[in-house]
Formats: sequence, C-alpha cells, structure tokens
Amino acid sequence: MPEEFEPKIVAFLCKWCSSAGSDLAGVSRMEYPPNVIPIQVMCSGSVSPLYIFSALNKGADGVLVSGCHPGDCHYIKGNMYARRRLALVKKLLEYIGLEPERFQVSWVSAAEGTKYTQIIKDLVKELKPLGPQTKLRRNP
Amino acid sequence: MVNIDNLKEEVKKLIVDGKVKYIIGYEKGRNGLMSNPIFIRKPEDVEKLVWDHSCVYNLAKFLVDEKRRKAREKQPDTKPVGVIVKGCDSRAIVVLLQEKFITRNDVYIIGLSCEKTGVVDERKLTKKLKQKIPEKIEAGEKDTFIITAADGKIEIPAEEILATRCLECKANFPVIYDVLFGEKTNRNVENPYKTLENIESLPQEGKWKFWEEQLSRCIRCYACRSACPMCYCDECVVDTINFAVTADTTAEEKAAKIKWLEKSPLSSENFVYHLVRAIHLAGRCVDCGECERVCPVHIPLRLLNKKLEKEAKELFGYEVGMDPSLPSLISCFKDEDPQDFIR
Amino acid sequence: MKRTGVFICHCGINIAGTVDIKKVAAELSCHPGVVHSEEYVYMCSDPGQNLIVQAIKEKKLDHIVVACCSPTLHETTFRNTAKSSGLNSFRCEIANIREQCSWVHKDMNKATEKAIKITKSAVEKVRRNESLEPLSVPVTRKALVIGGGIAGIQSALDLANSGFEVILVERSPSIGGHMIQLSETFPTLDCSQCILTPKMVEVSKYPKIKLMTYSEVQEVSGYVGNFKVKILKKPTYVKADKCNLCDECTKVCPILVPNEFDLGLTGRRAIYIPFPQAIPASYTLDIKACPGLLPIACGKCFDVCKPRAIDYDMKPQVIEEEVGAIIVATGYDLYDKENMAEYGYGKYADVLDGLQFERLCSASGPTKGKILRPSDHKEPKEVVFIQCSGSRDPEQHYPYCSKICCMYTAKHAMLYKHHVHDGQAYIFYIDIRSGGKGYEEFVQRAVEEDGVLYLRGKVSKIFEEKGKIKVWGVDTLTGKDIEIDADMVVLAMATRPSKGSEELAKKLKIALDKDGFLAEAHPKLRPVESITSGMFLAGAAQAPKDIPEAVAQASGAAAKAVSILSQERLYHAPTVAKVNLNLCTGCGMCVQVCPYEALSLKDGKVEVNDVLCEGCGTCSATCLRAAIQVKNLTPHQVHEMIKACLGG
Repeated sequence: MPEEFEPKIVAFLCKWCSSAGSDLAGVSRMEYPPNVIPIQVMCSGSVSPLYIFSALNKGADGVLVSGCHPGDCHYIKGNMYARRRLALVKKLLEYIGLEPERFQVSWVSAAEGTKYTQIIKDLVKELKPLGPQTKLRRNP
Repeated sequence: MVNIDNLKEEVKKLIVDGKVKYIIGYEKGRNGLMSNPIFIRKPEDVEKLVWDHSCVYNLAKFLVDEKRRKAREKQPDTKPVGVIVKGCDSRAIVVLLQEKFITRNDVYIIGLSCEKTGVVDERKLTKKLKQKIPEKIEAGEKDTFIITAADGKIEIPAEEILATRCLECKANFPVIYDVLFGEKTNRNVENPYKTLENIESLPQEGKWKFWEEQLSRCIRCYACRSACPMCYCDECVVDTINFAVTADTTAEEKAAKIKWLEKSPLSSENFVYHLVRAIHLAGRCVDCGECERVCPVHIPLRLLNKKLEKEAKELFGYEVGMDPSLPSLISCFKDEDPQDFIR
Repeated sequence: MKRTGVFICHCGINIAGTVDIKKVAAELSCHPGVVHSEEYVYMCSDPGQNLIVQAIKEKKLDHIVVACCSPTLHETTFRNTAKSSGLNSFRCEIANIREQCSWVHKDMNKATEKAIKITKSAVEKVRRNESLEPLSVPVTRKALVIGGGIAGIQSALDLANSGFEVILVERSPSIGGHMIQLSETFPTLDCSQCILTPKMVEVSKYPKIKLMTYSEVQEVSGYVGNFKVKILKKPTYVKADKCNLCDECTKVCPILVPNEFDLGLTGRRAIYIPFPQAIPASYTLDIKACPGLLPIACGKCFDVCKPRAIDYDMKPQVIEEEVGAIIVATGYDLYDKENMAEYGYGKYADVLDGLQFERLCSASGPTKGKILRPSDHKEPKEVVFIQCSGSRDPEQHYPYCSKICCMYTAKHAMLYKHHVHDGQAYIFYIDIRSGGKGYEEFVQRAVEEDGVLYLRGKVSKIFEEKGKIKVWGVDTLTGKDIEIDADMVVLAMATRPSKGSEELAKKLKIALDKDGFLAEAHPKLRPVESITSGMFLAGAAQAPKDIPEAVAQASGAAAKAVSILSQERLYHAPTVAKVNLNLCTGCGMCVQVCPYEALSLKDGKVEVNDVLCEGCGTCSATCLRAAIQVKNLTPHQVHEMIKACLGG
C-alpha cells in the first residue's frame, strides 16, 4: 500500500498577528494537518524573496507567508511592502511554470484561529495531488 | 536623424574645454560589423566616433567601473564622465541616479535618439547572412537595412534583424540628457510585451518546459551579471566570492556568508540564481538587452526580467527608469496595491 | 565549540499526550552541537527551572532551547532562568510545540516528527544569536507641550505637578484655545471662561511651566528622551512685564482688521489683546496688520504708551530647548463655511458657524450676549440650526462624525431660547449623539423645557431672499418637505484638525490618519501615544472630542510622558538593525521603508538609530545586498531554520 504523499510546507508567520492567530487555533484545540512547520518572523515585511526560493530549493513542497491585515501591522506598514514584494515573487514563480498553489500568502490576524486552521487545511489539500516539488528542489 | 558631425563637434568641444574627464562612445568594430566602445580622452580620437545600428553596447555600464576606480584613487578627479547613450541606456542611468550610485554631477549625458529604428541583434544577422561576413550596415529606403559584405550588398527588412527589444521599445530617445541629438519620435508599438505574452500564454507545464530547457544550458558563467549595469553590488547575494577571506575575517563574518546555492550548474541552482536575479532587478531592469547579448549559451534572459517590468507597470503603475526622483519599486507602496492573490 | 542544551516540557499531558517526548529528547541529543537533552513534566515550575540551572552549570552549556508552550507565555521566564545562571538572556530560545503542534494534531507519529523539526529549528537559531543587552539612553527630564488650549493646559499642569519642567508653546498671543471663546459649556451650562481662567492663571504662575506664547515649533530632531527643539518666539513688540492693560494704544491705532477671537464678527486694531483675561496679560502688535516698523510708518501706539511697554526693536528669537517627551495638543478648527456650496459658500452674513454663534451668546462677545443678526443687528425670531454640516458626508465633505455638534447645537438652541423668549429654534438632525454623563438629559431639556423643535432630515439648500434666509429641508419622520424663512442659520460645521497640523506633523514626523487628525499608535489600546516614541497626543487634534474627554486624554498623555521623564535612563529592546558597511552602497531603499525613520544616510552609507529601531526587519528584506540585518533574526539564521524545518 503506497504511502500517501504528504507535502512538506514551511510557513513564515509574523509574530504579532499570524503566529498569534496560529496560537489561538491551538488554544481553541482546532485541528489541522501537521504538514506545516512554522518559522516565526517579526513582520511579514521581513520575509525576503530569498527565503521563499531557498525553502523551495531545500525541498519544501509549499511555502506560506502570513502577516497582519493591511492597516493592522504592528510595525505600521511592513505588510504593505510585503504585499508588493510577494506579489512580484508570485508572478515570477508562476511565470517559470511553478504550480501557483505552491506559494501562498495570507492575512491572518491574532483573532483568526479559525481562518488559520482553514488556510492550512486548504493548503495541504491543494498540494497533495501535485506531488513532491521537484522543479526547484536541489537533488542531493 | 542624428548628425554624426554635430555629435563629433560636441564631443570635441567637451574634450577641448576640459568639461569632462573622458567620453565613452562607439567606434568602428575591429572584428566584424559590430562597433566597440571607445574611451575618448584626446581631441584627435574624436574622429573615430561612429553611430549606426551596430552600436549595441550599454555604455552606462562603464559608469559603474568609473565609480570603483574613483573609490580607489586618493585624490579623484571630480569632473564628470561623458557618456553617449541610447534611450534604453539612459534609463539605466536614471536607475543609477535613483539609487544614488552616482550623482547627476558625475555624468554628462550625450543622448542619441534611435528615432524610429534601433540596433541590430548580431545573432539574428548572422543567421540571416549565413556564411557571409558583414562589414558595414546602413539604413535602406523602405524600413530595411543594407548590409555590405565582401561580395556585395544585401537588403534585409529591418524587422528581421532588429533586436527584439527595439521592436517593442516605446521610447526610442533618452529620458535624461545634457544634450540630445536626433528627434524625439515615438515608435508606433502596438504591444510592447508581445514576446512576453508568447510565454505567458503557454499552459503551466509548457512554461516550465520552456524555462527548464533554456536554463538547463546555463553554465553559471555570470556574464549576465557582469554585463548588467544594475548588478553593481560588491558582493552578490547568491554567490559570495568577492570579499576575500583573510586572517582578519572574524568567525562571525565567515559563518555569516550564507551558502544559498551550490556552485554547480544544476537545474535547481540555475533556476534559483536567475529567480533571485530577476527579483532583485524588479523595478530596476531597463531592458537594455546586454544580459541576453553576452550569454554564451543564448538564454533569452530579457524575457525573465521583462516579465517583472510588465508586472511593475500593470500591478503598481510603476515605470522603470523614467524619473530619478521616484523611490524604487520595492521601497514604496500604494494603498490600492492589488491583494487578490492573498487569502 | 557551542554547547547547546535542550529541555523538553511535557506540560502535563498537554504536550505529552500527542508528542512522544522521549523520542524528541533522544533525537535532539544526536543533533550536532547539542550536548544535553532532557525532559520534565512542567519545565516552567521551580524544579523544572532548577533542572535547567543545574544542567547549565554541570554541562557548561552556552545556549539553551526550551521546547514548550508559546513564547508569549514563558519566553521571559526562561530567559530570566538563563540570565540567573550567568548566560545572556538571548542565549535562550523557545520552541513552540504546544499551541502550534501538540494541541492541533492527533497523529502521534506525525506530531512528534513535527515537534522534532520545530525544536531543531530553534537550536539552529539560538546557536547564532548574539549576546545582547538592552540599550539605554539618558533622559532629559523636561517636557514640551505644543498647543495652549484646554488639553495643552491640563497636560502642562499635570506634568508640573509631577515635578517636571514643562515648556508650553502656543502660537497665538494667549493660551485658552477655543474653550476660552465659548460662552457656556454642556451639559452644565457652566460659564466656560469661569472654569478655564483659573487654570490659565495657574499656568502663568507656576514656575515649573515656561510659557511661550506667540511662538511656534520650527524644528524637532532627536529621539525619545533626547529631543532637540527649535522654537521661534515671534516679537509681540510689547514688553509683557511693563504692559498694564490700559488700552490707550487701541484708541489711537488707525488699522482695523477682522478679529480672530470673534471669528470675524468684529474688528480689532493692529495692536490688541485677544480677550481681557489673556494669559500672558499683555497686548500684542500684529506686524502683518501694522503699516510698518522699518521705517516706522505710524508710531501712534508708542506715543501714548505711558508705561513705555511698546518696543519696536523687538526681534524674533529662535530658542533651542532639550526635552525628553513631547505632547501635541494642537486642537481643532472648524471646517470653513466657504466649502459648503449648498449653504451659500459662507457668503451670507446671517449664516454663522458654531463658534461664531458662541461668540454672540457670550457676555463678552461682539453683541454683549444679545443674539442679534450680523446683517442688521435685529433680534432673530426664527433660528435654524443645521447639524452634521460637512460631517457624515463621504461624498462631498468628511465621512466621520464630529461628535460634539449634537451637544453644542442643543446648547445653542437652549441659549438662544433663554435670550430670545419668543424666538423659535429649529434643529435639523440625522441622529442625536449624546452619550456622555448628563448629555441625554441635557438634550431632553432642550426639547421639553425650551421648546426646541427637532426635525429629522437634512437641509438641501439655503439662500438669501428679501432679508431672510430660506431654508429648504425635509422632515423624514413625517415625510414632509420643510421650508423655513429663517432670520439666522447656525451651521454645526465639521471639526477639523487645526490649521497647520499637517506641516507640524511633518516636522515632528508623527503620522496623520486618513482624515488628517494625528494618528494614535493603536485605536483601542494606545489612544494617547503617537507612532513616534516619546511623542504623545492630547485633545481634539487626535480626533473630535468634548472638553471632559480632552482633559482626560491630556492627563493620560501627561502620565505617559511622566513614564519616560521619571526614569534615569530609557531601555530599549536591543534586537535592532545593523549595517555591514562593506556591503552597503547607500541606495537608500531601506531608509525609505523604515516605518520609524530609524535609518538615515550618512556619508553614503546607512546609519541606524538604535533607539528608534523596533527590529521589524522590513529594511533587511528590502536590501538587495543583505547589507542591513536585524540582530538575532538574520538571513543566516532563517536559512538554517529552513533547513532544519525540512529535515535537512
């Protein structure tokens, strides 16, 4: 019985909103698949495109970046720069033929434990049929 | 039409009056048709200046070298450097000014308008001429080029040998200059992103197949990086080789040199290198075409960078290389920036 | 050789129920650099913490990772544990394997695998942390209050009462703001000047308060605890200590200009006192109205001044001060009637705004408290009050509610009825907002006791016809169109931040919100702080508000300022940005994106103001060359964390 493919996902969560939202999902004992390993950053604005490319290069099947809603950034406007930068990354990755589901951005506030849970569930569901990400992954 | 004699007169005057350190221009090629760059320091050398459809090089690149040279001198000459630029080249200077890499006083810009034509793509020309070796190129009557080879002249429709970027160029004249030769005419371009759209319209796996094929040839020679005026970083993020590791390098500094990529030209590493380069050139690449020209394996690199130029325009209303007073693309934002891709 | 210790908490069964703790401990003990790996049921407990202390000592650990609950709970706890064992607090990192792992997954194998990756990621991070100490800067224990209205006055008094020196800067010749222009205040109908003037006098007598009127802030530089301010003291041409308020000068001054205090309803001389109770008690010569002093074109006021108080040789002075905290209380102005096309562009003499009507009511006003029409000085028998003039109007004017208009319109209608017993007052309203203490009862009084007629509807147009003001409105509750031939119309114009707020905000580098009011750091939890550390907001400059709220906010701002001034030194988180000068090319992109203006270009390279930097990292992601990075969350660390997360 072949094992079902389980995508490996790296999520960059901003400390003040998305990571707190993820904590809330935990406190509320919500349930979502364990495919996502979170890395807490201070602000979605501090996520460099290099991190995303590197995660894909090191074998991530999917990458998520999540930050505060526009207007709510703890650091006032870091997420606005993230929005611009990540839009360009998304367009570029799509243009070279990477499946668009593999890189996603979300706004999750500290109160949105439910939303975070749903995003992870949707993400895993969308990545499973795509199989392992081999295009940018460095083969050992 | 750019009057070559007027140009030579202006250049000579600048040299004789001592207004500039030297002037970077084009001279007749020593190896075939394509002209070469020339650094004119003496009035006698002004005669060597040429201006024709083989003046492909982006001479703005030499301004980067000039800055490095000045930084090494104890008492640098602060006179500006004169540089002859086409429309695309001038936009490179705009970006250098935006990023304060040079100041306006560092450069005396001699702008030449391509008017309704442009420069030839040497590869297209070679393919067209097959074995013949071209010696001279002139504009013909009806939107054609007349190539003089050893065994006579050939007339070729301009469209077939002009550089693709010239066919898609909306502004054939410099956007910044101290003196301008030629008319500020706009080429009638229906679709400046035509070749881009050919790839954008491919299905997702088709896009991948195209780029995998192209980038599989990459040998990571970094010629694209060396030729690009915007790649002036002392140390390239993906390939930390410039700063020597000496006895004084602290353990902290050594450890901090992140090895983002393997040096070997594996497909994955090639992709990441080009992706990082493209994203770092977002809002900075002016489509001067040098990267593509110098690539020894003929990867259509401008198609990668131009994609983000298009997105900058369409998503954010940002025109690259037009106004030196504007902030860079990624260091500003609008409240209305699109976020439909965000969950 | 780095020696890392890993401590994994069971948290009872909260973590141990879904994560195989022993397996995690075993896996981590094999991880390169980990020399100690231990698990315990409650790591945050005293015995748990003791285990950590012991291990640090015995195994000579130099870094620790505690895999437990969210860092929001116990990061401080464990960092203190590390500190007490002689390690720098940043040598301790938390791996969140509860909220983000054990509590959200059911499959033990997978949850354990994930917990291992999260913990390894934390190990890779902590091993590359720098030892940092909180930054400390000295504090100048003096405050600056900009704006001498009720909010500024209250802040200044609170600060002085707390023992700190205060500089109170006011651009007009006297403090008092708009409150001193009011006749009575709601809901008590207290005489405004009676309750305000004692505070004003207190300000003038308090030695700790340096009052600088007719002055403006020109330049502010520095950062919290250490601001340098340049204040322009404009010349009044009258020596305040000599002026005895005899008023002989105004009798001979030939110039007449609109009187700002009466909002143009009366005139004043070029030499004038804004109102009798002005503080400082002195006259001022308005150089813009005066025919000229170089050379002296007139000189009549000087001739009649017996105390020799007038001094034409006074020069503007720029005074430099150092302060530790700044409170901005620059107040409001009313939206100009000229903007109301539907209400006559402010052309009609008998269409007034709220402050003008206030002056008519005032006993010291242009009509000595009688309500008279400005056009013919006759008593108006029919007065229409229009609320929401310019407010709650996103299409034409401003979308927000100006908050105070319902209350002061009710007050105006009542005062009118008290003055003109046989007059009829109509109020056109959309809603009545009377939420404060005693406010609802006050509005009911207007209706029940003073017979004010409230009409629910908007006024579409007013225009002058045969000496009357025709008002076309609607009463939506009856569905009828209403036409009133009014003798006077009073518009409750929208409250706007006072003129010059935008320029001042730029000088101070504090943000404005979408409507131009001073932006607070957080709309719910930080209403008196601006985004700029050390600068606080008070009063109507931050948002429309009434006097009790302005006073409360002013005291709040003063308390916040005291929290800075009362300290010997200020401490700031040290996880700030750092520039590698070898790599920086001075392109300035990071400078543009910094939300706190903590970065600047100096000699072609970027410099970080550690005290302003909040460590968000936006600069780091923007930099194309990795020349600027935030300490303890560098790209290098993230790179290693990515590798650990993917099992590499």
